[in-house]
Amino acid sequence: MAASVSGYTFSSLCYHSANSNSDHEGFLLGEVRQEETFSISDSQISNTEFLQVLEIHNHEPCSQLFSFYDYAGKVNEENLKRILKERRKNVIGWYRFRRNTQQQMSFREQIIHKQLTHILGVPDLVFLLFSFISTANNSTHALEYVLFRPNRKYNQRVSLTIPNLGNTSQQEYKVSSVPNTSWNYAKVIKEQGAEFFDKDGVMKDIRTIFQVYNALQDKVQAVCGEVEHSERLKETFQEEVNKLKKQIALRKSEKEDERRLQEMTAVEGRQVPEEHKNTCPAYNSRVVCPGNAAEEYSLENQDTSETPPPYSEVIPLDSTAVSTETSTAYLPRPQAVGSSSYAPPSLGVAKYTGNGDGSSTDSSQGTPGSGVVGQQAEEEEEEEEEEGGEEEGEEEEDEEDSSEYENLANEPSESSDSEFSQLAEGRPASLRPDGDARNSQASQI
Amino acid sequence: MAVNAVHLESDAFLVCMNHALSTEKEEVMGLCIGEVDTDRIAHIHSVIILRRSDKRKDRVEISPEQLLAEMTGRPMRVVGWYHSHPHITVWPSHVDVRTQAMYQMMDQGFVGLIFSCFIEDKNTKTGRVLYTCFQSVQAQKGSEYERIEIPIHVVPHETIGKVCLESAVELPKILCQEEQDAYRRIHSLAHLDPITKIHNGSVFTKNLCSQMSAISGPLLQWLEDKVEQNKQNIAELQLEKERLTLELTDLD
Repeated sequence: MAASVSGYTFSSLCYHSANSNSDHEGFLLGEVRQEETFSISDSQISNTEFLQVLEIHNHEPCSQLFSFYDYAGKVNEENLKRILKERRKNVIGWYRFRRNTQQQMSFREQIIHKQLTHILGVPDLVFLLFSFISTANNSTHALEYVLFRPNRKYNQRVSLTIPNLGNTSQQEYKVSSVPNTSWNYAKVIKEQGAEFFDKDGVMKDIRTIFQVYNALQDKVQAVCGEVEHSERLKETFQEEVNKLKKQIALRKSEKEDERRLQEMTAVEGRQVPEEHKNTCPAYNSRVVCPGNAAEEYSLENQDTSETPPPYSEVIPLDSTAVSTETSTAYLPRPQAVGSSSYAPPSLGVAKYTGNGDGSSTDSSQGTPGSGVVGQQAEEEEEEEEEEGGEEEGEEEEDEEDSSEYENLANEPSESSDSEFSQLAEGRPASLRPDGDARNSQASQI
Repeated sequence: MAVNAVHLESDAFLVCMNHALSTEKEEVMGLCIGEVDTDRIAHIHSVIILRRSDKRKDRVEISPEQLLAEMTGRPMRVVGWYHSHPHITVWPSHVDVRTQAMYQMMDQGFVGLIFSCFIEDKNTKTGRVLYTCFQSVQAQKGSEYERIEIPIHVVPHETIGKVCLESAVELPKILCQEEQDAYRRIHSLAHLDPITKIHNGSVFTKNLCSQMSAISGPLLQWLEDKVEQNKQNIAELQLEKERLTLELTDLD
């Protein structure tokens, strides 16, 4: 089987994956064909082979995880229908993007795949797995991808090619003609060849193909304009939705505070010490404190004597304090990827680290939240420790042992409690429940 | 250290990927447009695709720096360069490191990005795309330069910016321009016989056809799909907006 995906679709997959701070998934649309290939060999006159060709035309990203299945991996047909609509008949597979994981289907993915195969009625449904890993200092990142045919017993992995320009060889132009003194030759080619040229001596084909090219480019520009317009519209709507969400969250917390205040006053009437009155306004100010609401909250939980508000209520307030610039709004809160003073040295993928010793240290942890920014202070520390060698210059990625992958997704070693808790925070959002307004579902492997 | 880290906006990253994946037979290159903030983080908001033959950026009609500056209200400039390593390891070659060092002489904060693609591990059928960020420093011994690693992060950007879109659709234009220039060079040779001229004309036609089927076509398809996808997203957002508005009024 041969599979291909256009560079633009592939880049789009990378783009959507980069935009998500958790796992990302979606459907692959395209077609599967049988192609006959002929070959001639000495033993037989003609050899026909049938090759299955899979072409991925487009992808349909899911806006959230668990949009068509639940935590138990049960696929919801209704949701699936709603997501795919009429594109359902073009589905040839689905894909998932994960960070710092093995290049293997997880158990849940396998279950989902079986159900999708059955529900969509595609016997050879494929699964494209993207896995993202980075070096410890985040200077180098790798996106690995494997296309699986899980419904087959053998040859489950399929090579995915990205067709491209290849060789637009301008060396194919001839700068000189083959020397020929034959008058007949010169006469014939001049007379008969004249058909190809117009009165200006320019080849007619060139003008024609140039017209085709121009028409195509005009279309490209036109549709590009449409895309630009729709992107801006999407932006506006997204901003409005975000604003509404913030307003709702604010309203909800205000109401909750009012309710609590009422409760307090009711309780106070039964002679309660002064401290409780003071913790109330202090608590309020803590909740609206920018950036660290969640963290501070979990630490100070033991100190307050009143019932804590639900975690999800605390988080949206966070975003009000964050800069409204789109780019920074999606940065994880600094504490989510480990405190700035701590730079876990054992994190990282040995094969990409510019350590200079070329050894594989079989590091068992991946780097935290590599696709999204958040470790500025950590980076500065790493920079100071950087040795800056170029020993890796000749390293050939292809020679890597695939068994090294096994180490990436192993359970983190319990070297120390503090390190592990840092690691738990440092894990990409996909590995822990995240009450973030953007990402309201958790993803477990 | 002149630069602490690089933040590459995801839509600029998209254009880099498009460009890097456009050909596996040659290295492509371009420039990174953006700004460096007070924390010495270089923010890359967009890229300019450069012609292979002519590395000067003023050959490009639009001025992305001006456009970006207008849109953001902040001055934008070239902060780095990128190029691709098809079938080759992501690490910069000695030439790359030297080129980077030269750029740094003009601008200390200039960064280099490399995208390595079309890599496949035949055993595991795993494909790979890698990207790295680096600068150059003088080696301790001798006058040679060494690579130093700069952290780079792709920063989410939920929509694709206007400048990025325009850069993306420049690629077919640039390729066609290069082809025309190559053809013009041989077309001006007077001593070619008609057969050779027909041959050369056909090469031009063939190459332009390759460009259209490998680049323009898929690009157009991607753009059309994006319009469709956005229509869906906008409809969903509208519904959500209505739902939320209702919820807000209920709360009040």
